[in-house]
Amino acid sequence: MAVQLHPMESILKRNNVNVIGNGDQVMLFAHGFGCDQRSWQFVVDAFTDDYRVVLFDYVGSGKSDLSQYSSAKYGCLDGYAQDILEVCEALSLRDVIFVGHSVSAMIGALAAVQNPEYFKKLVFIGPSPRYLNDEGYTGGFERADLESLFEFMDSNYLGWSSTMAPAIMGNADRPELGAFLTNSFCATDPEVAREFARVTFFSDNRADLAKLTIESLTLQCDEDIIAPLAVGEYVHSHTPKNELVILKATGHCPHISEPVETIKAIKAFI
Amino acid sequence: MAKEKTKELLTHVIDPETLYDQAPCGYVTFKPDGSIIKINQTLLNWLNYPAEEVLYKKKFGDFLSKGGHIHYEMFFRPMLNVSGSVKELSYELQTRQGTHFHVLFGAVALKNKNGQIVAVNAILTDNTDRKRYEQELLSARKQAEKEKLNLQFLADLTPDLIWTSTPDGTIDYINARFADYFQVSERMFTQEKFLSSIHPDDQTEFQTTWAEKLDHGDVLSHDLRLRNYRGEYRWHLVKSVPHYNDQREIVKWFGSCTDINEHKLALTKKDEFISVASHELKTPLTSLIGILQVLENLKSTPSSPMLGDFIDRANKNAKKINSLVGELLNVGQLTAGQLRINKEYFNLYELIENCCQYVRTEHVFQVTINGNPELQVYGDAGRIEQVIVNYINNAVKYARNSGQLIISFDEHIEYIKVAVTDNGPGIPEEKIPFLFDRFYRVDTGGSQYAGLGLGLYICAEIVKKHGGQVGVDSVLGQGSSFWFTLPISPDQH
Repeated sequence: MAVQLHPMESILKRNNVNVIGNGDQVMLFAHGFGCDQRSWQFVVDAFTDDYRVVLFDYVGSGKSDLSQYSSAKYGCLDGYAQDILEVCEALSLRDVIFVGHSVSAMIGALAAVQNPEYFKKLVFIGPSPRYLNDEGYTGGFERADLESLFEFMDSNYLGWSSTMAPAIMGNADRPELGAFLTNSFCATDPEVAREFARVTFFSDNRADLAKLTIESLTLQCDEDIIAPLAVGEYVHSHTPKNELVILKATGHCPHISEPVETIKAIKAFI
Repeated sequence: MAKEKTKELLTHVIDPETLYDQAPCGYVTFKPDGSIIKINQTLLNWLNYPAEEVLYKKKFGDFLSKGGHIHYEMFFRPMLNVSGSVKELSYELQTRQGTHFHVLFGAVALKNKNGQIVAVNAILTDNTDRKRYEQELLSARKQAEKEKLNLQFLADLTPDLIWTSTPDGTIDYINARFADYFQVSERMFTQEKFLSSIHPDDQTEFQTTWAEKLDHGDVLSHDLRLRNYRGEYRWHLVKSVPHYNDQREIVKWFGSCTDINEHKLALTKKDEFISVASHELKTPLTSLIGILQVLENLKSTPSSPMLGDFIDRANKNAKKINSLVGELLNVGQLTAGQLRINKEYFNLYELIENCCQYVRTEHVFQVTINGNPELQVYGDAGRIEQVIVNYINNAVKYARNSGQLIISFDEHIEYIKVAVTDNGPGIPEEKIPFLFDRFYRVDTGGSQYAGLGLGLYICAEIVKKHGGQVGVDSVLGQGSSFWFTLPISPDQH
């Protein structure tokens, strides 16, 4: 039997919200597609001394309440943005520094357009307002690329990831990493991941950028095929009050591969 | 000593470089950004690249398909960063020629003392075959599902009731029509339910036959009446064939029930008709035979005054037989679609006049003809005459006491309407729709209404051939008006 929770409690449970650190200023970290809140573990320690850090999982990821998932609500990014606003509401947060990776950058932007009063500053790590190429716009992807990714995800979710987890868990010197991967890659419901991937990669939030009133930072990686430089530049030039920093880190996850550089860039901005 | 020797042997036999290059799997080492710094010959062979074009020039991601590359950036790299190793991802690599092969891909991160990754060692195993089997299995499953849907669609669309049963007769599938006919939900049906839906008169025979066929594995073909959900019985042809496996054992029975109700009723009607026709022919024939016997006896006295009378009567009966056979032949032609119409212009008034001659002389009818005496009509005069004579004969037969007969015709814009009106008893409304049907006889019985029930049917077919219509207007107690129309434009039919 499901226990009837207070609306606030139920939101915190639904999104597996965790609050850590000391300080008055709140930082809200939103993970990207395919990860969960533990993808922030290499950077959060640098902030917990001075900030109150809020971490959460999107519904369907990590330790969120999968039973709360509905295709109707999460069939577009607005459903996820709603959850961010609800988390802010539940914790009575104001003037939050929002840090969003990948698709979360746009989810945060949508939330900030809807309720700017909750936010003070926005940090976008590898943002992309539209992944598909369009007339006069380079997103980096053709539809066929994405179909091939979806197919690819299916084969790796259903085919091989089960053999992956035990090997990773055997990581003796840093056992928490095993837990991270097991949960990140295996606890995410494949159906949810499939839908989330489609919602993410078929989204188009270019028009929302101009509506942003909050000061923001775009962290652009070198050689990021998911959010190429042209996309970072697009975000920068179409968003009012946006600062662009190009990192030396390569790939799409600088907060994981180059946490030091990423921390430095965020701190310089906030 | 032996251990020493083995060691020596091994150093001779196993050259680590050869082992690395010729291994049955691919080895590759790349920097954190993917730049390849070492690669073995096996993998180069698979990719079809010379080493100098790959080392320090290509990144591992360059060989991945786009989907794989995205996955590599989104999943593989973060995973490797946190865990230090990744095992068995399924990737697709592209060769120099642009063809693809599938690999199982595992990697270990080499880190410096600060925990930063300096290089990645990866091992790749070709699993193209396995992938292909998986793909085949997948497409086979898709194909099978598609076929299944197709078959279900066909099975549900066919007008027959379809079912299958296990060798012992348990029904394990029914199609949508079947479920509809008996209005059962969930497509569940039992043999008992089927048996109880059979008309009581047909049950025993069917059960005996069915049991016998089940026993012997023979094809079943049986007519019976099935009760539908409205409680109405309809004739069905039940067929069932056994399906054998390779061991000649019955694995299933496939069955169908075809609605043959109309056919069955038509057959019954035909049987009735044959009996009526035989009876109708028999009456004048019996008379004729009787008369011929009398004539036989009169042979010796050819001067008998009765002779002329008997010959007249014989003629009358022979004519009656001739006319009955003529009707039968007409029907035969109609059924075979061989009724020929030869159209020409003729004077309708004159034609009607001719038809009435015998009624005027033989019967006590007062016949009036109303219509333009000059009107020329385009049609088969002989056939139209046949129709009018038939209408008149019907009036004479069924409105004997009418005394009055009006034959009228008038011109309308597109057609000419001819009507034969009596002031007889009229026809009950419920019988009107069937009057022009084949084999329909007004079932009042008695010899005064003798006939084959074909006359009006033939009339209707003739008029139809001309492109016209037939009909009756009748009021009980006041009389009936049989009419037909002929289109005016000659090219209309």
